[in-house]
Amino acid sequence: MHKFWLVMKREYVTRVRTKGFIFSTIIVPVLTVGILVLQIVTATRQAGRTLNIAVLDEDGSLADSVIKGLDGKLNNGQPEFHIVQTLERPPAGTEENLRTQVLNGQLDAFLVLPAKITGGKDSAEYHTRNPGEVTISSELSHAVSDAVIAQRLHARGVDVRDVAQVVEEVDLKVIKVGTHGETEEKGQTIVIGIVVAMLLYTTLIIYGVATMRAVMEEKTTRVIEILVASTRPFYLLAGKILGVAAVGLTQYAIWVTVGALVTVYGAAMASIVHAGAFPALHLSGLMLGSTLIFFFAGYLLYASLYAAVGAMVSSDQEAQQAQMPVTMLVVAAVVLFNIILRDPNSPTSVALSMVPFFAPILMLLRIALQTPPLWQIALCLAILGLTTAGLVLLAARIYRVGILMYGKRPSLAELAKWVKYT
Amino acid sequence: MEKDTAVNVTGVTKRFDEVLAVNNLSLRINAGSVFGLLGPNGAGKTTTLRMILRIMVPDEGSIEMLGRPLTESSQDRIGYLPEERGLYTRMKVREVLLFLAGLKGLDDHEAGRRVDEWLERLELNQWAASKVIDLSKGMQQKVQFIAAVVHRPPVLILDEPFTALDPVNAGIIKDIMLDLRQKGTTIILSTHRMEQVEMMCDSICLINKGESVLDGELAAIKRSYGKNTVRLEYEGDAGFLDQPELVAAVNHFGAVTEVRLRPNADAQELLKAAVVRGVRINRFELVEPPLNDIFIQKVAGVAHA
Repeated sequence: MHKFWLVMKREYVTRVRTKGFIFSTIIVPVLTVGILVLQIVTATRQAGRTLNIAVLDEDGSLADSVIKGLDGKLNNGQPEFHIVQTLERPPAGTEENLRTQVLNGQLDAFLVLPAKITGGKDSAEYHTRNPGEVTISSELSHAVSDAVIAQRLHARGVDVRDVAQVVEEVDLKVIKVGTHGETEEKGQTIVIGIVVAMLLYTTLIIYGVATMRAVMEEKTTRVIEILVASTRPFYLLAGKILGVAAVGLTQYAIWVTVGALVTVYGAAMASIVHAGAFPALHLSGLMLGSTLIFFFAGYLLYASLYAAVGAMVSSDQEAQQAQMPVTMLVVAAVVLFNIILRDPNSPTSVALSMVPFFAPILMLLRIALQTPPLWQIALCLAILGLTTAGLVLLAARIYRVGILMYGKRPSLAELAKWVKYT
Repeated sequence: MEKDTAVNVTGVTKRFDEVLAVNNLSLRINAGSVFGLLGPNGAGKTTTLRMILRIMVPDEGSIEMLGRPLTESSQDRIGYLPEERGLYTRMKVREVLLFLAGLKGLDDHEAGRRVDEWLERLELNQWAASKVIDLSKGMQQKVQFIAAVVHRPPVLILDEPFTALDPVNAGIIKDIMLDLRQKGTTIILSTHRMEQVEMMCDSICLINKGESVLDGELAAIKRSYGKNTVRLEYEGDAGFLDQPELVAAVNHFGAVTEVRLRPNADAQELLKAAVVRGVRINRFELVEPPLNDIFIQKVAGVAHA
């Protein structure tokens, strides 16, 4: 047993000290947060500067109310639009003149409001060199529509403010019913589910492949010959798998701690500056516990498969091919995501989440979306546990023989023989 | 007598699928001796060693070490330098050795003390903090040798211990082997270098196709062949060697020529033939056959049978 600890310790210590570990521990959260921040920034506001525009009003009655509607502000507090000039009932050739100004940079764009627009017979035109700015055009469209609608209503003798009250849309709040009470749904459930399941997917593959490489390293460097002359192959395999698992859990622990600190800090900062609620993704205790359990069980299952693959190959190229079936199993779980997302409690979803190879990812997703009945979680864990135990024993038998075999990759029939060797 | 047997292999057989790797092999290795396990490639040497090391279990037969059947703890009392060297290339020299010493049952403190002692003795102390991959092949081999002996095993298995070593380092390792033997360590030496076997081994076993074809004390084996070999240095026409009724085989080494005589052939006849042809003889010595010849004869003989 002492030797098992030695093997595990070596695996853990040498791995945690590598640049790769330090790098991935830092880079993964930085990338994730970076992408989130980037998305939030790009989604909220695109234009970075005030646009100089001219408004050309053929009828002469709309410009004022349209300009009133263009009161958007940039992040730095500057107005979004600066109206350089307003031309009412312009003489012919004005548009041509404005076009030249846009081309030589005096203007960023100009807006044309045709005379027949209030009658609904024509459309407004926005002439710009940069038509790709979606937020700008939607803002313009709103301003023009509001102005035109207001004028139409006015023509019919209706007060605009009355209409605004009458057509006010009703908000629909989505509320998640759970055993611990009700929580308002703002998309966080799906986000948590997908984030956690994807995290599991990536770490299962990363650490599974790491286990495979660790087995291969000992085989190709031939250290294995000395190791098996010193201790049981099962201790070597178990020490390796659990050593790598400890590395994975260390990484998780670092991420969770840093994540919690950032959330607390962010919430504190948000309350100080009153910048609105910090978008904290609250992880429940159930979710955190399930993630750990399913990571550990899923990792054991896949790591033993990957370790068996590592033991039967002698080169990187062989490993590439031989690992495919195992990796495909993990990928399949992700492909089946949508079925669970559509209806986490449908018979198909329940059945799929019971398949041990998919269970770590799919059951976790179900727990995140809509906590399944306890018996289903228990049954799932039981199936997963038994399969894992069986696969570990099977992998140990393949490992024991494979690590001393060099040359051609074994066929399935040969593998079956390995399992039977004494 | 039984007490003095370090390793006792009795009727051991090992099959892989239909291939018979080792067939009913028995070895008795005396405590404190240097034992040569010889044989051509694929003869079953590695499989035999792996069974003694308890890496593999024999299908039939039994193996005893130091008077007891092999158990898990017997692995702590045996040292192993495999033919295919292997160390964790990206670990530091001292750390690798501490880990391997720990796997042989030494506690941290004791392992540290002995590893430092050995690094000093093999002049590797300034490399202790270097990564294994930065060491030359010869230095890596010395590190591997330390891993084999650091736990002072009573039984030491060395598979081709001198390859990749320059003459100076080979000499250092040879002296350590003799020193260990002096202190009672039993050494099992597996090698293809027959001159090393002749210089170091007390007893040998030659196996071919998984079976023992020759075993016993080296001196007795050579004596049993008698002085049937002539070691010659001459100047002149080699025609006098062309006497099929006298000469069984001729081996030219350049300066020296070794001639194996037919059974009951008289060496005097060969000398006479040389003198008659006017060949100048500088050396004419009747010796026991070199182990190399015995090896080839035994292995080739079985192969042709």
